[in-house]
Amino acid sequence: MSIVVTLLSIIGTVTAYLLSRKIANKKPSPFTTPVFLSTVLIILVMVMTGTSYGQYEQAKDIMTYLLGPATVALAVPIYKNRHLIVQYCVPAGTGLILGSIVTIFLSILIGGLFQLSEVLISSLAVKSATVPIAIEISHIINGDMSITAAFVIITGILGAMLGPWLLTKTNITNPVARGLAVGTISHGIGTAEIAREGELQGAVSGTAMAIAAIFTSIFVPLL
Amino acid sequence: MIKNGSIIAIQLAILWAVNQLGYVIVSWTGIPLPGNVVGIFILLLLLMTKILPLSFVEKGASILVKHLGFFFIPISVGLIAYGDLFLSHGIPLAIVIIVSVMVGIYVSGIVSQVLVEKKEKKKHEHSRNPA
Repeated sequence: MSIVVTLLSIIGTVTAYLLSRKIANKKPSPFTTPVFLSTVLIILVMVMTGTSYGQYEQAKDIMTYLLGPATVALAVPIYKNRHLIVQYCVPAGTGLILGSIVTIFLSILIGGLFQLSEVLISSLAVKSATVPIAIEISHIINGDMSITAAFVIITGILGAMLGPWLLTKTNITNPVARGLAVGTISHGIGTAEIAREGELQGAVSGTAMAIAAIFTSIFVPLL
Repeated sequence: MIKNGSIIAIQLAILWAVNQLGYVIVSWTGIPLPGNVVGIFILLLLLMTKILPLSFVEKGASILVKHLGFFFIPISVGLIAYGDLFLSHGIPLAIVIIVSVMVGIYVSGIVSQVLVEKKEKKKHEHSRNPA
């Protein structure tokens, strides 16, 4: 029985993904961002069919098996664009550090205004780092690891949805700047989205994601 | 077709091995980085030193990068388990996350775009040849 559920979960997830990609190509909008739209579709189907997350988890483990190799694969676009990345390391590095500091301070500041608990604020401060690094830092600064993971994912989805849209609205059209902004703030999920724009954007975003996570891991515990 | 498929399978296996190596190095040295990020640096090093030619991983890597988003979907579905937290703290959390994400992206983007353009202007003053 559980094998059937797992198999159906995998087929359903792949279908939702392919469908969302098609819709996103036809009607690009924050709400058709494939990661967001697929997630909403799958959660809807799960609620309607009364499937619990526990039943989906085995399928999740199978499907995410290649996430590690897929992250490693980002080295290829980085390698191909290495000359451009080195050439722009000062402008990009400045944008990365300022953007990271702003996002961290805003989380702490607004979280404080709403009188959120210290655990929640600590978990929010590290949310722009990629999941495995954010969990590590959160552990060091007494955040909650699983809540941190949830915040990181929401940050990634929001960055993927709103980032390209916001950059276009504010006339930020330079591919290096676009890749950098989305990768710095919304890690792998943002990188996956901005890579759909072009190889250079994806390469810069992948590099920014790795460096921003390292920066956050050094900076946040100092606060 | 079969040949192409097996080339991709071998390339995926190479990427898988580099990722595993990343995790092994992390557990040996205890560096505070996730194994897959260390894997990026290893693969970059292998490519730059030409130990591993680009053609050995290029096809497999381009497929994975193209569909990188797919791997995050099952993880995002996991948010379903946090319904209670978002029901009780939803509005403040949404405001914190949306504002910090949007302002962060804007600041990173505008700062780097202005600096990139400045740099390009300078370069064009020195020579008219594009890089």
